[in-house]
Amino acid sequence: MSAFIQYTLQGLATGGFYALAALGLAVIFGVMGVVNFSHGAMYMLGAVGSAVLLDVADVPFWGALVVVPVLLFLFGILVERLLVRWLLALDPLYNFLLTFGLTLLIVDLVKRRYGVSGLPYELPAGLEGRVTIGGLSLSSYQLFAAFFSVALCIAVWLLLTKTRIGMIVRASTEDAERTRALGINVGRWVTPVFGFGIALAGVAGVLAAPFRAITADMGSNFIIILFAVVVIGGLGSILGAVMAGFLVGLVEAYGQAYAPSYAQVLIFVLMAAVVLVRPAGLFGREEAS
Amino acid sequence: MAERLLTVDTLSAFHGEAQVLRDVSIDVSVGEVVTLVGRNGAGKTTLLRSIMGLHKNTRGSIALDGTTLDGKSADKRARLGIGWVPDDRGIYATLTVEENLSLPPVVDKDASWSLDRIYEQFPVLRERRDFPGTKLSGGEQQMLAMARPLRAGSRLLLLDEPSEGLAPVIVSQIGQIIRDIRSQGVAVLLVEQNVKFASTVADRHNLLAQGEVVESLDNDAFQSRTTELLQHLGM
Amino acid sequence: MRHTRMISLAAMVAGSGLVLTACGSSAGGGPAAASGKISDDKIVLAVLNDQSGVYKDLSGPNSVEAVKMAVEDWKAKHKDDAVSKNIEVVTADHQNKPDIANTKAQELYDRQKADIILDVPTSSAALAVATQAKTKKKVYINIGAGTTALTGAQCNKYTFHWAYDTYMLAKGTGGTLTKDGGKKWNVVYPDYAFGQDMTKSFEGQITAAGGAIGQKVPTPFPNDNFATYITKAAADKPDVIGTMHAGGDLINFVKQYNQAGISDQIKLAVGLMFITDIHSLGAEQFKGVTFTEAWYWNFDEQNRAWADKFQAKTKTRPSFAHAANYSAAFNYLEAVQEAGSDTGDDVVAKLEGKKINDFFLRNGEVRAADHRVIHDAYLAEVKPASEVKEEWDYEKIVATIPAAEAFKPVAESGCSM
Repeated sequence: MSAFIQYTLQGLATGGFYALAALGLAVIFGVMGVVNFSHGAMYMLGAVGSAVLLDVADVPFWGALVVVPVLLFLFGILVERLLVRWLLALDPLYNFLLTFGLTLLIVDLVKRRYGVSGLPYELPAGLEGRVTIGGLSLSSYQLFAAFFSVALCIAVWLLLTKTRIGMIVRASTEDAERTRALGINVGRWVTPVFGFGIALAGVAGVLAAPFRAITADMGSNFIIILFAVVVIGGLGSILGAVMAGFLVGLVEAYGQAYAPSYAQVLIFVLMAAVVLVRPAGLFGREEAS
Repeated sequence: MAERLLTVDTLSAFHGEAQVLRDVSIDVSVGEVVTLVGRNGAGKTTLLRSIMGLHKNTRGSIALDGTTLDGKSADKRARLGIGWVPDDRGIYATLTVEENLSLPPVVDKDASWSLDRIYEQFPVLRERRDFPGTKLSGGEQQMLAMARPLRAGSRLLLLDEPSEGLAPVIVSQIGQIIRDIRSQGVAVLLVEQNVKFASTVADRHNLLAQGEVVESLDNDAFQSRTTELLQHLGM
Repeated sequence: MRHTRMISLAAMVAGSGLVLTACGSSAGGGPAAASGKISDDKIVLAVLNDQSGVYKDLSGPNSVEAVKMAVEDWKAKHKDDAVSKNIEVVTADHQNKPDIANTKAQELYDRQKADIILDVPTSSAALAVATQAKTKKKVYINIGAGTTALTGAQCNKYTFHWAYDTYMLAKGTGGTLTKDGGKKWNVVYPDYAFGQDMTKSFEGQITAAGGAIGQKVPTPFPNDNFATYITKAAADKPDVIGTMHAGGDLINFVKQYNQAGISDQIKLAVGLMFITDIHSLGAEQFKGVTFTEAWYWNFDEQNRAWADKFQAKTKTRPSFAHAANYSAAFNYLEAVQEAGSDTGDDVVAKLEGKKINDFFLRNGEVRAADHRVIHDAYLAEVKPASEVKEEWDYEKIVATIPAAEAFKPVAESGCSM
C-alpha cells in the first residue's frame, strides 16, 4: 500500500510538470489556432538556458526560475512577430510546419554550440535532501517541483478566471471568430499570449534542469507526450490540459510500476481510447455541426 | 421615414466557386425591425456574416450610418455599433453569465444598458449570474445573447433565428423583447424561418430565395399574402 | 472543422512520432586492385560514425581527428620508407541508422576508394557495414559498437573489433562487483536489442560469480522519466542496481537515481559509460558509480602523453573511442607497410594473430580465430568532485582485468569464417 502511495505521489509530481507545459500549448492553440510544435524546443531552451546562465554568469536555479521565463517570453514575442504572425491567416498546417522547422533549427544550433552529451546542473541549494512522512520518502526537489507546478497552474487559473484579460483569453480560446465579432481585437492579444505560452514551456524547462538530462534532444520525446496530453484533455481546453497532465503523469507512474515496458505505450493507448470515445478530448467541446 | 442606418447595396457573396448571394440590396432604419425570410440555405446567415465582416468573399458594399464598412475587421464593425446574435446564440461555456454580458466592450456609453438594467429586464439572468453561460436553458441563453449587445450599446442588432427551438411561450417573450428593443431606437435585422413570429415583430420583410431578394414588402402586405408567399418560397 | 482537423493532426504526431527517413544513392563497384600494390596510388581511411547525433561527442568528429593524428605519426615514423605517402582520411555520417550505414559503406568503399572503414557505433549499423566489408573484401575495424555478434555468429574475414564489447562490460562490471560482495542485483534496462543483450551478458557473469539478478525491469527507449522504475528497483533492497541505459537516458537515470536518496545504501553500476557522460553531468552526480573502461586517458604517463597531443588538436580530453580509433588506424597502416599492399586479403593476413602493445592496447592481440582484439580492460569508479584535480580527471581505476580474461573465450565465440 505504501508503495502504491509512493507511485501516486511520483505520478502527481510528473503530472504537475506536464500540466504546466501543456497549459502553454493549450492557450496558444486556443487563442491562435497554432499547434506549436516548437514547444518541446522551448522547453529545452529553458533547461539549456538555466545551465548556461549558471555556467557563464553564476545565476543560481532560483534566479533562472525568474530570468529564463522572461527571456523566453521575449523570444516568443520575437518568433510570433517575425514568423508565426504571417501564416495565421492560412491553413493551421502551415504554422505547424513552420514551428516544426523552427524546432529543427533551434535543436541544431544548440547542438552546434553545446554538443550532444548535455550540460551539467546541480540540485538547487536547500533542496538536496529528502522528506520522509510516515513510511513515505520523496526527494525535496520533486516535492518542490510538484508544488511549484501546481501553484503556477493555480496562478494562471486565477489570472484566466479573475481578470478581464483572462476573460478575453478564455473567450478567444473558446471561439476566436465569435469573440472578434463581439468587438474584441483578438489579434492584439495574440503576441503576448504566444510569448506567455512559450514562457510556461520555459518554466517547465527550468524545473526539469535539476532532474533531467539537459541535451539538445530533450524536447523531442517531451513534445510527443505533450501532444498526447492536450489531445486527451481536449485541444484548446485549458482545464483539460491541466487535468490531462496529471492523468498522464499518474498513468506513466503506474505503468512504470506495474507494466514497465508499456509505461509510454499506455499513454498512447489512453489517448487512442479517448479519441475514439470522445474525439474532442475529455474536456473539449464537441463541434457544432 | 426615420434615419437610415444600414445599407446593403448589390451584395454578392461566394463560398469558393459557389455564389450564395446575388446582388442583395436591403436597408434598415433607426427603430425599425426588418426581416430576411427564406428557407434553409437561402443565404440568410451568410448575409448576416457578411455584414459582420466574418464572411469576406463578397462583392458590393455595406454601409453603416453612411460610413462604408468595406475592409473593416469584425471587431471594428462591432465597435461601430453592430451587435451580432448568432443562431447558436454564441454563449461561452467557459464564461459565467455575467462575464458573457461584460465581455463586449461598451461602444456607446449613452446607449449602453447597465447590468442592473439588464437584470431588471431579465431577472432570470440575475439569479444565474455566476453560472457558466451554457448551463442556462435555451430560452435563457437566447435572452443572454440578446442582452449582450444591449449592454455594449449596439445600434444595430443582427438576430439570427432567435425563435428557433424554443417553446411558444418563450417565443412570445422573445417577441416582446424585440419590440422593447425597437422602442429604444435600436435597429434590428432579423433572420427568420418562423413566418408567424416574424409578422408579430417586424415592420418590413425581405423574402430571400437562392441568394436573391425576391420580394420586399411591409408587414400588412406580408400578413395578407402569407400563404401565397410561403408556397412561393417552398416553405 | 479547425479543431477536429488539428486534433487528428496532433494525435497523429503524438502517436507516431516523426520519422525522418533519409536515402542515399549507391555507387557502382570498381574492380579490386591487383595484389601487392597500393590501389589507386593512395591509402584511404574512412571514418563512418555519428557526426551530429547522440554519439557525436563520445566519438564523432574528434575520432576523425584521432585518425588524422595516427596518419601524421605514422608518416613521421616511416618517412621515406613509407609504402605510400599519399594517405587520405575521409568521413561520413551514418546517423546511427543501419540502412544509411549500409549505403554509406558502399559509397565509401566504391566511390571514395576507401581501403578501410573505422568506428561505426550502433550495433545494427555495425553489422550492416560488416556485410559490406565481406562483400567488397575490404578491411573494417569496428570501435564504437558493442555487439559480440561482430566476432561471433556474424563474424567475417575482413571485420575486426578493436575496443570493447558487451561481454567485456559484463565481465568487468558484473563479474568483478559480484566477486567483491555485490551478490544481489536488480537490473533496469532499455527494452531494445542493446539493453536486452547487455542484461543477458550481465546475468551470465553475475551468476558465474555466485550472484543473482532479482528484478529485471525493462523501460521504454528513449525515456526521460525513471522515478518510479528506480523506486521499484530499490524496493527489495538489492546490493547493486545495474542500469544498461546510454547517452541522454543514462543521464536522466543517474540524476533521478541521486534524488531517490538510495545512493548511500545501494551501489549503482552502469553497463556502458563514456567519460563524456561524466563530463556532461559533472563528477559529483556520478560519484561512486562503477563501470568498465576500455581505456582511461589519465591512467598513466603513456596515456596522458597521447591525451595531451589530442587535447592540443581538439581542446578536449579523449574518450576510449578516440584513442581506439587512433590505435586501429595506426596499426592498420603498420600492417599495410608490412604487406607492401593495401589489398584487403594482404592486410588481413598481416593483422591476424598480431601481438600489439601500444598506449591503447595493453597486452593486446588480434585474435586470428574471430578477429576480437583483446587487451587489458579496467574497472573504474567515478571520483567525488572533491577529488577531481583537473577538468576530465573523473575516474579512479580500481582493478585491471587481464586481456586473457576480459573477453569471451574463442571457444564460446561461435565464429566460423
